[in-house]
Amino acid sequence: MTGAVVTNALSKRYGANTALAPLTLSVGAGEVFGLIGPNGAGKTTFMRLLLDIIRPTGGSARVLGEDPRRGGAPLRRRVGYLPGELRLESRARAGELLEHYARISGPVRPGATERLAERLQLDLGQQVGKLSKGNKQKVGLVQAFMHQPELLVLDEPTSGLDPLVQKEFLALVREAKAAGQTVILSSHVLSEIEAAADRVAVLHNGELVRVGTLSELRASQRRRLRATVAASTMLEGALNKLERVSAVSVVERGAEAQLSLLVEGDVDALVKTLARFEVRDLLIEEPELEDTVIGFYRGESS
Amino acid sequence: MNLLMRELSESRRAKWAWALGLVAAVLLYLPFYPSVGGSEMMETYLRMFSPEVARLFGLDMMGSGAGYAQATYFGLMGFVLLAIAATGWGSRSVAGAEASGALELTVAHAVTRWQVVLEAVLALLVRVGVLSLAGSVTIWALNGPAQLNLRIGNLAAVTTALFLLASVVGAAALLGGAVSGRPGVSTATGAFVAVAAYAANGLAGLAGVPWLARLSPFYWAFGQDPLSSGWHAGGLLTLLAAFTLLVLASGWALARRDLGT
Repeated sequence: MTGAVVTNALSKRYGANTALAPLTLSVGAGEVFGLIGPNGAGKTTFMRLLLDIIRPTGGSARVLGEDPRRGGAPLRRRVGYLPGELRLESRARAGELLEHYARISGPVRPGATERLAERLQLDLGQQVGKLSKGNKQKVGLVQAFMHQPELLVLDEPTSGLDPLVQKEFLALVREAKAAGQTVILSSHVLSEIEAAADRVAVLHNGELVRVGTLSELRASQRRRLRATVAASTMLEGALNKLERVSAVSVVERGAEAQLSLLVEGDVDALVKTLARFEVRDLLIEEPELEDTVIGFYRGESS
Repeated sequence: MNLLMRELSESRRAKWAWALGLVAAVLLYLPFYPSVGGSEMMETYLRMFSPEVARLFGLDMMGSGAGYAQATYFGLMGFVLLAIAATGWGSRSVAGAEASGALELTVAHAVTRWQVVLEAVLALLVRVGVLSLAGSVTIWALNGPAQLNLRIGNLAAVTTALFLLASVVGAAALLGGAVSGRPGVSTATGAFVAVAAYAANGLAGLAGVPWLARLSPFYWAFGQDPLSSGWHAGGLLTLLAAFTLLVLASGWALARRDLGT
């Protein structure tokens, strides 16, 4: 199987504690892939395994066609990495530290560092140790992007960034994708990467809960349907026969009935059933993606 | 060499502060040799103690300039300061970087774990070398004025011994960090080796177990009294071998384990 990142039952345990349950996943070249989950879900563990910072207890991974364990320095030259907990302590100026990282990473085009810094509004003359959390995060982003790596692995890239800079970051991700670079990024807040990710994997307690495009995730979520229907004694019975429909409530007001129910996934059967009645008003609420994800966690833990 | 340069530039100020400290330690003791070392007061002191105790504190050697410099600086203040500096650097370069998260970012670049260790070691050697030289150059400058009568060849020999001894202590700290990833463990390892080396050498005579001294890096460095008698390849090579083993073990330990967990 080809892909920028392919894992086969990749897992990591620390004693009895499972940081990442066997995970089989493929991220295509040129794809922007999001990892969503609360703290401790396994996102950071997954990313560190790809960079050979930690070693798997089971399974295997291919990063740009190579085993991270054997790919060594030449492989990491082709990857840009932003660690999740970036605590840069240095007396050096931001520009000096970035020059250092440029020397130990893939070749950096002249002016690339300065252009990135300007777009993210990072002052390269400041001492790194004295930068705010958000500005340190920018240093981390610049060093990840500056050598235009084939693969970007970004752990919580938007944390600490103000909204304007977040927007600029998303633009960088789009440009990377347009240039054929693959991006894997994580967040515990879906909305921060919603705009960038082609597909997302939802992780919880080290397990993969769901993977798919955002519309697939949305489609699989239960949505509330409200309708006003001409009163009929057949209505409630007909609806209750449908699969994936729950919490049906019919309140009759004279000749009309107020209908409310939850539907999961495909609405075709439900709409066709309703069509047999006289529908006067219909509303299917768009699920909040945030609720969708939280719904996955609940489904997982129950 | 990039990691080496980075490490050296980060600790530039600390290095010069330590060098000043060593120069100060030399200036604190050596100019007073004419009034202390060869004096009758010293003879009196020597008669007060048993030969073993006198040897423990180097009092028996105070009669010569070489003995005095060895007892006050190389075997005491110089050793202590260099051991502390080397432990700090050995601990910071790997365990400290790992605890701060900087190491995770470094090894995500095009560098290997072995490279991290070897460049940390080179940075350690450069700094310990600068400090050793700072102390000894100051001593050489005082050689005439303080009537020490040191030979330059012997001074080079003892400086090499001190340099290697401190490097062994620093490498022990590095190993503690490479194995555990914790700065506290790293520092404790360096400190333990320094204290144990000093104590084993000094107490072996008192306790009547002379073979104990032979296990001590301190004895390997100074047991043959190089400042009086010149180069002794055996001790220096033993120090070099111990240093090499510590470095290899550090590289091996860091290369095979998970970082930052």
